[in-house]
Order: sequence, then structure tokens, then C-alpha cells
Amino acid sequence: MPSTKEIKSRIKSVKSTKKITKAMELVAASKMKRATSQTLASRLYSSFSWDLLTSLSEKLETAENKFFKKNATPKSLIVLITSNRGLCGGYNAQAIKKVITALKVKDNSCDVITVGKKGDSAMRRIGQNVVATFTEMSDNLKLRDILPLSTHLLAEFSLAKYSEVYVVYTDFVSALTQVPKIRKILPVSREEIKEVIELGEAESNKKPAHCLVEGEVDTLLDTLIVKLVQMQIYQMILESNASEQSARMMAMKNATEAAEEMIEDLTLVFNKARQAGITREISEISAGMASVS
Amino acid sequence: MAKKIQLKIVTPEKLILQELVDSVTLPTTEGEITVLPDHIPLLATVASGDIVALKDGEHVPMAVVGGFVEVKKDKDETTVVVLADFAEHISDITEAEIAKAKKRADELQLQAKNNQVIDFEHFESELERSLTRVKIADKWKTRKYRK
Repeated sequence: MPSTKEIKSRIKSVKSTKKITKAMELVAASKMKRATSQTLASRLYSSFSWDLLTSLSEKLETAENKFFKKNATPKSLIVLITSNRGLCGGYNAQAIKKVITALKVKDNSCDVITVGKKGDSAMRRIGQNVVATFTEMSDNLKLRDILPLSTHLLAEFSLAKYSEVYVVYTDFVSALTQVPKIRKILPVSREEIKEVIELGEAESNKKPAHCLVEGEVDTLLDTLIVKLVQMQIYQMILESNASEQSARMMAMKNATEAAEEMIEDLTLVFNKARQAGITREISEISAGMASVS
Repeated sequence: MAKKIQLKIVTPEKLILQELVDSVTLPTTEGEITVLPDHIPLLATVASGDIVALKDGEHVPMAVVGGFVEVKKDKDETTVVVLADFAEHISDITEAEIAKAKKRADELQLQAKNNQVIDFEHFESELERSLTRVKIADKWKTRKYRK
């Protein structure tokens, strides 16, 4: 049996670990709150831009736009959104797994763009062709922070380098469940956009009204698509962010609970060892007494 | 009571303004337009500049950068929705911020001259935003408007 001193120092170290995990849990919880409120705030913009697209839809059928058609190249591009830091449970692993299955289906004819260090190192480890990496995504994300990414995607697509562009992100369902998802963002399809924005049925079934358009429909459509792609990526990153924080919160909560349990067990062992020591001492003293008298 | 327009200005980050107004004047890529109640449905691209709403004889100016405007008509209600990359009430642009924006714009232009810019997209939108803020703030400096 280990000595009381050893056990004491172990209890101390577990206690300090517990303090750290507890603090991380609280930080993640407050960050999660902000991330979810940001997601909700951006939803308004999304639903209005959806309205705009609906109003334009009767013009859409005739319009020929390069962003609506699949390019005739075999390669496709996958954007993987992960976190910069670990200690968030299965969050990164799940997203990475999703990408690997997608890559298998595509027979590895894919290039990858990664957002976040974790996904980047995983992709490089399996020898995937990583064409670009974005690691500077702050917690307080603004739309302009994703401009470099979205513009890059649009440019590559319009140069017909890739047939399709997918994004792998983690959908924030609730604080307890996050689901990794893969979505096609280019070429633009109405169904996919609808799912990202998560519109209610009533809203999305609105009838397109006849509408006057100022300027060229094509230019308006071009700008609208650029904005839509930006907005989708923005929302996906926000969702991933919220998922990351809630995954971390859960992981840290579990760690805190495990630490508590461990402290309890150790305290029990400590008490036993102490009691054993006392008993031993008493028996030694009484044995000494017996030998003297 | 005279008819009113429901004006909404939305950016991806939040809802900037939601108000009942008498008329809205906005800069589009084709020129400036003014929307009055009972306007027919309209779609247009918004240029950088100022959106001026008229409410009870007072001007409510907002600086906007890039986006769309949709005029919707539902029975008797006219709604104007502006989707902007960036929007701000003029009174939110304080003197200190104007100075900062000016400095930033100069800095950015200098950088462009020296070809130091790597992150071009980011830079372009930054520059446009800074310039618009300075321009609009200067324009409304001497005029009267509702805070």
C-alpha cells in the first residue's frame, strides 16, 4: 500500500486538475452562448436573402449562370472546418472521419482546404493534397473574416478547376448533440441553401411575386450568389464554432466529474492508510509496554 | 394617417434598424432612388453611400456598404429590406472614429501603392468601408438630422 504522503500529493494534483477543467468548462459555456446568439443573429440576414432569391426565382429559370452548373472536371474540392485547439471531445475526430469517408467515395480525386489547425494536421498526416489553410478564425467572427476563403472558392470554381465544392462542418443541434455534415455549396442549388438556412416550411413556401428588377438581372444574380456563398460559409463556421464550444463544455464537464470521483476514491484509500498507520503504532506501543512490564 | 414604410436594415451580424418611416432614399448602382409608400415590388443592388429615411420631417441617415434592397408590398404594407455588408447610423460615427477611419484609409491606400497587400479581398472591403464612412460622415457634419 502506498504511503499516506504519496496519496496526499496525488489528491492534491487531482484537485488542481479539477480546478482547471472546471474553469475551462465555464469558459466554453460562455463562449458557446455567444456563438449561438451570433448564429441566431445571422439567421435573419439569411432568411431575407432567401426571400430575395425567391423573388428572383422566376427569372432564374431563364438565367444562365456559371455558378449554377457543374464544371466538367473530375476534381472536386472539400473544405474542412475544425478547431484550432483540442480538448473538445470527439468534435474534431468526427469531422475528420466524415471527410475521410467522403474522400473514399470520391476515389481521392479531391483537393482539401482546411479551416483550423486540427483538421489541417490530420489531412497532412494522411497525405491529402491541402491547397490552402485558414487558421486565423477568431471566436468573435465577422463576415469579413471569411472573405478570403469565400472569394478563393468562387474564383477557383469559376476558373473550372473543380467540378463541385463541398464543406464539412459540424451542425449545432443542441448543447448535447452536434452532427458533422457535408454540404455542397457550389454549384448553387436551392435545396442545399434552404437546409443551411433552416427555414420553416411556412416561410419557404412563399410564392414568388412578380417583381421589378433594377439593372441587369445577371449582375444582380452574380452578386447575390457571391453573397449567398459568403453567408453560407459564415453560418457554417458559426455553427461549427458553437459546436466546438459545446463539445468542449461537455468534455470538460465529464473530466471534472471524473476528477471528483477520483478524489473520493483516493480519500478513501488515504483514510484507510492513515488508520492502518495508527493501528500499527498502537500495537507497537502496547507491545513495547508489554515487554517492559 | 398617412401610409408608412417598414424599413429594415440587416447585416449578417445583426439587425441594425427597424422602423416605420415616411420615405427612404437609397443609392443603387443605377443611381439614387426614393421609395414612397405603395411602391411596387423592386429589387436592386445598393451602392456604398448613405440611406436616408424621412420620419416626421426629420432625416435619419445611415451609412451602408454593399448589398441589396428589396421592396415588398403585401396588401397595404410596404416593406423595404436592405441587406448590407455593413451599416451604421451617422451619429455612431464619432469624430474620433472618423479620424481613425481616415487614417486607416490613407494607410491602406499607401499599402496598395507599395504592393504590400497579400490579403487582397480583405483589404478591398476594408478600404471601401473606411472611405464610405469618411465620406458620409463629412457629408452629414453640417446638416441636421435625427440622432
